[in-house]
Amino acid sequence: MNCAECRDNFVACAEGLLERGEELQCRAHLEACADCRAEYELSLRLEKRLLARGQAAAGVAIVETVMRRVRQEQFKPERETIMSKIMKHRWGFGLGAAAGTAAILLIILLASPKAQAKAAEVMTKGAQAVAKLTSIHLRGQLRTYPQDNFSSINSDCEFCTIELWKQFVPELKWRAEKPGRVAVMDGQSTVLYFKDANSGAKFPHPSPSAFDTEWLHQIAYLSNTISNELHNAQAKGWKLDTSEETAADARVKSIVTIHAKSGIAENDYLKNSFFDNTDTRRVYRFDAQTKLLEAVQFYLVRPSGETLIFDLNQIDYNQPIDPKVWQLDLPADVSWEQEPQKLPDNEKYASMTAEQAARAFFEACSREDWNEAAKFMSPINEQLKQYLGGLEIVSIGESFASKSYGGRFVPYEIKLRPQEFNARVSKTNSAKRYVLTGFYDDKLRLKQDFKWSTEPEVLTNNDAYARLSPTEAAQAYFDAQSKLDWVEMRKFTSDWDVEETKKQVEMAEKQGIDVHKIMPVMEAGEATWSPEQSAWFVKCRAFQTKKWNLAVRKDNPTHRWQVDGGI
Amino acid sequence: MDLTDKEQVERCRNGHPEDFGLLVDRYQKPLFSYLAWRVGNFSQAEEAAQESFVRAFLSLKKLRKPESFFSWLLGIAGRVAREQFRFELHRRQEHEAAETMMMSAAGQNEDYPLEEAIAVLPENQRQVILLRYYEGLSCQEVATRLGLPLGTVTKTLSRAYILLRQELKARGCAEQTVNETKQT
Repeated sequence: MNCAECRDNFVACAEGLLERGEELQCRAHLEACADCRAEYELSLRLEKRLLARGQAAAGVAIVETVMRRVRQEQFKPERETIMSKIMKHRWGFGLGAAAGTAAILLIILLASPKAQAKAAEVMTKGAQAVAKLTSIHLRGQLRTYPQDNFSSINSDCEFCTIELWKQFVPELKWRAEKPGRVAVMDGQSTVLYFKDANSGAKFPHPSPSAFDTEWLHQIAYLSNTISNELHNAQAKGWKLDTSEETAADARVKSIVTIHAKSGIAENDYLKNSFFDNTDTRRVYRFDAQTKLLEAVQFYLVRPSGETLIFDLNQIDYNQPIDPKVWQLDLPADVSWEQEPQKLPDNEKYASMTAEQAARAFFEACSREDWNEAAKFMSPINEQLKQYLGGLEIVSIGESFASKSYGGRFVPYEIKLRPQEFNARVSKTNSAKRYVLTGFYDDKLRLKQDFKWSTEPEVLTNNDAYARLSPTEAAQAYFDAQSKLDWVEMRKFTSDWDVEETKKQVEMAEKQGIDVHKIMPVMEAGEATWSPEQSAWFVKCRAFQTKKWNLAVRKDNPTHRWQVDGGI
Repeated sequence: MDLTDKEQVERCRNGHPEDFGLLVDRYQKPLFSYLAWRVGNFSQAEEAAQESFVRAFLSLKKLRKPESFFSWLLGIAGRVAREQFRFELHRRQEHEAAETMMMSAAGQNEDYPLEEAIAVLPENQRQVILLRYYEGLSCQEVATRLGLPLGTVTKTLSRAYILLRQELKARGCAEQTVNETKQT
């Protein structure tokens, strides 16, 4: 046994865990080697120290106390640390809710350039103006998809409404809402609900902010905003400007502008998709007289220019909030997200690469083995089963990361099982040719009305179109759509349908998507006459290929990759 | 296999604040032990440990290297201990008594900041040390808990001892052999 081997065996030797032969060899080496013997003695002494330290701490159990305090501290308008207790005692007066902000101001005034000091002063006065805040309601507009994450942004999207109601006393409650999702913390639990998917997630405890609403809470909690923005200005060198302007009603507004840098590279996959990976110019407008924050605008800043992405134009302070705001009347059959649980064969899954996990997930969907698929994703509701069931994998690519995401992205291409639906086709119009009036599901329930507002135009070659059967008319509509031939498409459908399709295509193109590649292949089949509706229903099938990046992460107790997005 | 500190911190930051409890559970004993060494009083050490964790939680977003969570936590704890000392000093208005209190703690303590050295060990070695000595598990129990062969655990511990000794020596507070004592 050499010195390295002997030293590797110190603990096993001391604790009698070596086999007889090995122990004899180890002891023989110790007898012969003075250096190892000395090191062994020191190790034994170190072990005694470690044992003593561990025994002294044996009865310590502060997890519950700490977590209770963590929750309480988060709910407080100001943290009361040992230092703030000292300050209170020394100066003999309660510093109140503005203590922290005043302290920040003092630090900034002493240590910062003039612009920062001025910005700190305006923002601190804004925080002091709402020092006795009992409730707040924010209402603004955000460029994002209505159903998407609360902090998700997309400069190509239309604005959608986003609101936050927050009650500070007698107990903290809040509700954040946009058209496609809502999150409510009613003082007891915290719930997120996806309106379209009828699914959600919930914590059985109150959370001061959750589900990516933090940025909105920051605005509602101005002293925190000040602290964060000014800290970042100092630590990261963000630029701050202040200015004044006179509004139409002759009131003077103090404006603080912060040029925030995300530190995320332009070529990062998630760049400009969430607030925390976007460079923004943030404009806070305060009334110079009341000192109250009145409006906030966030502009997305790119080398090509700026886009207004968030416009907060209504802030109600200390107004009573209807108790119904804290209630969520949910259907009984909501699919709730479950935390992944350790499996008997967990190691098999935990040892997978991101690519292997993505493939295993899609294969399970392909077989419609939902128990297996649930090992990779929660919840899997009926909508998702219908969408992914029977899919065919075309390819799984090599995964990649983003600086601002804790997981990985796996490129994939899948062929979805054909979706079946019906097109309602009617010729009760002055042109006497078949046009589409809407899409219906397999039980002939209306899914999309085409919102005809005018009669179809009588075409110069109308007769040729009037001779088409319902199925031929539906197929001609699909063919025109797939070629993005808006003129031809308009011969079979309403202006509304054409304009909506154009909008979606333009949005996809702005995102760099080759629309021709993602357009489903549509097939019009047999037509059936419906006497009740006085129209033909044409059975249609959509064959779609999906090419995207699956977001997966494994920072959960089971250490298995879990699908987090990108479906 | 337990999550690493880095993974645990990132999880707390990404919408699972309750999981901070797992980090408290992991480090409550070594942190308490460290503070007990610094302030020399168990009840104050416990109070300071709680305050340190709360501050750590509230500042978690500012932690640049999540893998160094324990080192960072000890830094916070050091500041809390100093503030606590100043608070006691002010409260009692008895400088001598306070001085004595601190002297009886770190200054005359024959032990040394073991936890500071533990904090800089590689994660696998730190994990084994914490389980073996602060959680009081046997080597076999540590092996079962981590799903490792017993031999890997004992070797990891042996190597951790050597690194700990080197670290403590670099800080000028390592145990010395009789020969080393003579040389100095």
